[in-house]
Amino acid sequence: MHSPKRPEGIAETITVTKVREVLLVTMPSDPDDPTICALQEKTLEAMDQHTVTGLVLDLTRVEILDSYFARTVAETAQMVELMGGETIIAGMRPAVAITATELGVSLGRTRTALNVDRALDMVGRARHPKPRRRA
Amino acid sequence: MTLQECGEIEINVEHDIAIARRAVRDIAAELGFGVTETARIVTAASELGRNVHKYAGGGVMRWRALNKNERNGLELSFEDHGPGIADVDEAMREGHTTGGGLGMGLPGAKRLMDEMEINSAPGTGTTVIVRKWRR
Ligand SMILES: Nc1ncnc2c1ncn2[C@@H]1O[C@H](COP(=O)(O)OP(=O)(O)OP(=O)(O)O)[C@@H](O)[C@H]1O
Ligand SMILES: [Mg+2]
Repeated sequence: MHSPKRPEGIAETITVTKVREVLLVTMPSDPDDPTICALQEKTLEAMDQHTVTGLVLDLTRVEILDSYFARTVAETAQMVELMGGETIIAGMRPAVAITATELGVSLGRTRTALNVDRALDMVGRARHPKPRRRA
Repeated sequence: MTLQECGEIEINVEHDIAIARRAVRDIAAELGFGVTETARIVTAASELGRNVHKYAGGGVMRWRALNKNERNGLELSFEDHGPGIADVDEAMREGHTTGGGLGMGLPGAKRLMDEMEINSAPGTGTTVIVRKWRR
């Protein structure tokens, strides 16, 4: 029996690492439902084990965001918030953003960043750090 | 063309949804769909494949390359012998769910694809056909 073909070198699991005071959670390109389901548990467990101010969810590799995936992300962000942390979603590809919007899914009030670097800078900072200067 | 013109993938366990998704992605790319169009098709397939698994306990996804009036496209057909849908119009309504979801799958899939047809009757099962044409 052949196992289904997978792109080489791409882990199909979620990785969780601590960067500075932040938990960096990286999703694989096309996680199946059990993998998505594990996102919540892995994230909350890691939040509990490490002292962190927040979480960056790295979607750089992700190729599609369907309703189940989006719902899980939004719920996870909500739980992280209940634990006193903040979630920032990083690196969503244009095709993914377009498609998810057309599908009609939302990520709740979760903040987003263009890439992981910017997201790491954003964690712990207020939504509107500087008052806008009037013209 | 190296690609075969049609095929089918069984959807029984949760992981089969991901297998179907990956197959659709490869087929769409092979047929010349761009990144965003492919993401649309794959996302629709994910929603419809999950419905087959969730509501009917399993079924099959058939795919077919289309060629009509000089236009190329892809047709996906999700077939199951589950409980069926009593009121298709209601099922198509945004937010209507009997499974504790968001009621986003069917209306979302319709928006993402060019054409969608649902054939269903209580007790006989459900067939959802979607098509996408290359621009
Ligand atoms: N293959 C199917 N067999 C039986 N009923 C179905 C099938 N597909 C959809 N339905 C019915 O149609 C309803 C709407 O489906 P839809 O995919 O739009 O939303 P959902 O699955 O409830 O939620 P979501 O997809 O947002 O998680 C379902 O709740 C279910 O009652
Ligand atoms: Mg659904």
